[in-house]
Amino acid sequence: MRYVIAGYVFVLFVLALYSVQLVWRRRRLAQAVNRAAGPGVVTSSTVPAGAVTSNSAGEVVA
Amino acid sequence: MTDDPSTTALTDVSGLAPMAHQAAAPVTNRGVNPVPGQSSRSKLVERSIGTVALVGTVATVWLGIWVTPPDMIQGDLVRLVYIHPGVAWVALYLAFGLAAVSSLLYLWPRTRSLFWDRLAAAAVEVGVVFNVCTLVSGSIWGKPTWGVWWAWDARLTLTAVLLVLFLGYLALRRIPAEPEVRARRSAFVALFAAIDIPLVHFSVNWWNTLHQGATVLNPGLKLKIHGSMALTLLLGFVALTLAFVWMLLVRYRIGVLEDWLTANELDLALVERQSEGGGPVDEGTAGIGAMDELSTDGVAVA
Amino acid sequence: MWRDAALVAGKDLRIEGRSRVALSQVAPFGIVALVLFAFALGPDRQVMAKGAPGLFWVAVLFCTVLAIQRSVSVESSDGARDGLRLSGIDPAGVYLGKAVAVAAQLVVLELLLTAGVVLLYGARIQVPWMIVVSCLLGTIGLAATGTLYGALSSGLRVRETLLPFLLLPISAPVLLAGTRIWQAAMAGGTPATGMQWLRLLVVFDAVYLAIGVVLFGPIQETA
Repeated sequence: MRYVIAGYVFVLFVLALYSVQLVWRRRRLAQAVNRAAGPGVVTSSTVPAGAVTSNSAGEVVA
Repeated sequence: MTDDPSTTALTDVSGLAPMAHQAAAPVTNRGVNPVPGQSSRSKLVERSIGTVALVGTVATVWLGIWVTPPDMIQGDLVRLVYIHPGVAWVALYLAFGLAAVSSLLYLWPRTRSLFWDRLAAAAVEVGVVFNVCTLVSGSIWGKPTWGVWWAWDARLTLTAVLLVLFLGYLALRRIPAEPEVRARRSAFVALFAAIDIPLVHFSVNWWNTLHQGATVLNPGLKLKIHGSMALTLLLGFVALTLAFVWMLLVRYRIGVLEDWLTANELDLALVERQSEGGGPVDEGTAGIGAMDELSTDGVAVA
Repeated sequence: MWRDAALVAGKDLRIEGRSRVALSQVAPFGIVALVLFAFALGPDRQVMAKGAPGLFWVAVLFCTVLAIQRSVSVESSDGARDGLRLSGIDPAGVYLGKAVAVAAQLVVLELLLTAGVVLLYGARIQVPWMIVVSCLLGTIGLAATGTLYGALSSGLRVRETLLPFLLLPISAPVLLAGTRIWQAAMAGGTPATGMQWLRLLVVFDAVYLAIGVVLFGPIQETA
């Protein structure tokens, strides 16, 4: 049973850690982009269709 | 993924001259390229997938550890079947398959788009994480079952080879290059790896089974799964798949932002210099010259 | 395409003939590797004889990496690679030519290493033709994949560390097949067990040669 717990803990820990890292990375990048682009940001619709699409209101959101 | 200015792709040199004239006019985005945005709809999709994945995973863990009964032969160890095959399926088939197909779609002229390249890269990175989980959970399962932390079981070996191939792909992507060049290179590597995997699969299977003295190791094969076990198994698969999808979406977004930052570094630096100097920057300045030297130093020389 | 291949192969081999890098650097490295393996595995000749097939093929793999590095670096100076592309030579021909040149060097190295393994490890070969065929097929496979990856990583400054990392996992089937066939050959084993491995090698070679012929051109445009 020890092994079972170890296995679960490892997998969950790694997945959780990676998820946190992803979210943190994205936030940091979005801030950098916001800073760089300055006020009055314009978004493009060049991002292809799929999960990540731009909207017509033109806002940068992470 | 570096912020080294020498990695800037000088893709749009023609933009320098017009921008110089724009310095006096009011600028949006301070004159740099528009930022790719993310619609609130896609954010909602992403959030919901993430939430369902989290709930599903927690439920799987709860069911797997407390609710489901132990197996007749393997006892409590069977509980690992709710996560190990799940992460293995994600790493070996979902992530790798997606990376291979995306790379192929990038290379195919009619569907060429950096979208596929970024998707492949995201799939590989998330795939590595799941791959490690597969190997470790498999190893942890193996120790009490076979008595050893590692066995040259056909499947474990194949997973290990796949991990090395994934890591090679990621190493190749770290090399600074223009997005299209990097994309092509990575796509080729992914393609070759994809072709290699079936060959390695057969090799390792024969290698393992023909070897005198080795037993054919298959911890999960003799299980009879029914009832609450079957439900938990299915739930585990679904939850982990959704977790992969969520991570993929976030990682893809990261790729988009990173590429934008890298591509616009030069323009941004120019704009800053403009606002410092209070006038248009012309091409003869030391700044641009220095950039040129940096770029030839950093970009690959054929 | 074949004529271009012969041209390029001839060029590479002539360069090798004059500079003798493979002979003076790669071959000694292979022998040194064999000696180091002997140190690592201890003086028991039985153990070494048993391990001989695997050690032989690992040494061959190391030498392949060096040979490929050399094959790529031959064209890295004076814009020689661009010159080759502009000269109108069929890229598939360039690929085959370079692969043939590497294969030829590897075959010579393998003769040397085989002698080394027989002498140093006391390996006894019962079925020589299996050794020969496995070496030929394995060499073709290594040269085919190596030239391909060499092109992919050409012009990159991290090539020295990246190439082995990329190439060696891809070569795993060759290593497995070669070792198994050698083991069968040393045990006087039935051709039957060796046969499916030989078939695997043939498939491996065919697949990667085909890929190389088709994709070498596009890859070169990337580098």
